[in-house]
Amino acid sequence: MKVKEIMTTRIEQIDADQTVFDAIEKMIERRIRSLVVKFPGEDGADGIVTARDIVFKVIAQKKNLRQVKISEIASKPLICVDQQTELGSVAELMEESNVERVFVRDDDKIIGVVALLDIMAGTLIMRARGQNVI
Amino acid sequence: MLFSKYFSRGKKEEKVLEKIRSHIELLCKACELFSTALQSEDTGSMRAIIDLEREADGVKRKIISGIYEGAFLPYLRPDLCRFVETVDDIFDMLEDTAFNAMSIYLPHSIREESFRVAFLNSRMCEMLLITFDAMVEGEDLRERVLAIRIYEKKIDDMKFGILCDLRELAIDSYWYGKALSDFVTGLTSISDIIEDACDHLQIIHLSMR
Repeated sequence: MKVKEIMTTRIEQIDADQTVFDAIEKMIERRIRSLVVKFPGEDGADGIVTARDIVFKVIAQKKNLRQVKISEIASKPLICVDQQTELGSVAELMEESNVERVFVRDDDKIIGVVALLDIMAGTLIMRARGQNVI
Repeated sequence: MLFSKYFSRGKKEEKVLEKIRSHIELLCKACELFSTALQSEDTGSMRAIIDLEREADGVKRKIISGIYEGAFLPYLRPDLCRFVETVDDIFDMLEDTAFNAMSIYLPHSIREESFRVAFLNSRMCEMLLITFDAMVEGEDLRERVLAIRIYEKKIDDMKFGILCDLRELAIDSYWYGKALSDFVTGLTSISDIIEDACDHLQIIHLSMR
């Protein structure tokens, strides 16, 4: 199965100079667990901020949500794959890079994201179709 | 074959099963056509979906007649009919959605997500056919049912995002707004009915144990 079949195409962005509070608001409103972070003036240098980053690096450390900037907790660079990549290769990449999600790129544009749960879902669908699983 | 113990000498059941299969195959064809027609904005192909729905209606009538002319044990008949009616409901929803698609232009903000939902609907129909075949062969349905639920959950998540984007659109005509809203409701409801059809298959499967 190609990654384009199982990816989530709704990608939300946030500017690096916005606060953690803004990120939480966006994540809860849109029911998502990660945001692509745009660093102004740095072409192609997108980052990512996840619910895990917010909980571990800000909430657990009792920092002020309205004072901590996204740039302080975001991770860079984004780990990306092509939309034709097979699910098995994505799983290997996640394991090697120790990440929970990878982004799907079409040329320079990010068109989707694949998380651990998507890999599991894709694997089950492949099994149900009688296809060879990873 | 699990169904074999319910077959009569006249093989009426086999004929009905073949027709049910071709009914689902027609649905797969219609869903795939819808997905490609939506992307290519091909009105002719959208109209063809309405023709496919009529063809499917005829197949449905033959299946119901076949069942009540003596195919299958009486206790199985209502569940089989309910399954066939549910597949017919998917056709009706697809036809309404195709009709609405012909009368609107898709706003940029929901375009890609709508294409994706249509694509996933078509993959779900294929999975419904796989599940039906597995039921006829007496295989375990668990993995197929789970695959259908995964697709449904994915579409449900996308529906929420599409609705959020829809609310931010400025609509200047009541009828355009209504057609667009009905289109999105139809597009995102097809997966719910496919899931219902799959549930009926599971009930039939369980009742034959």
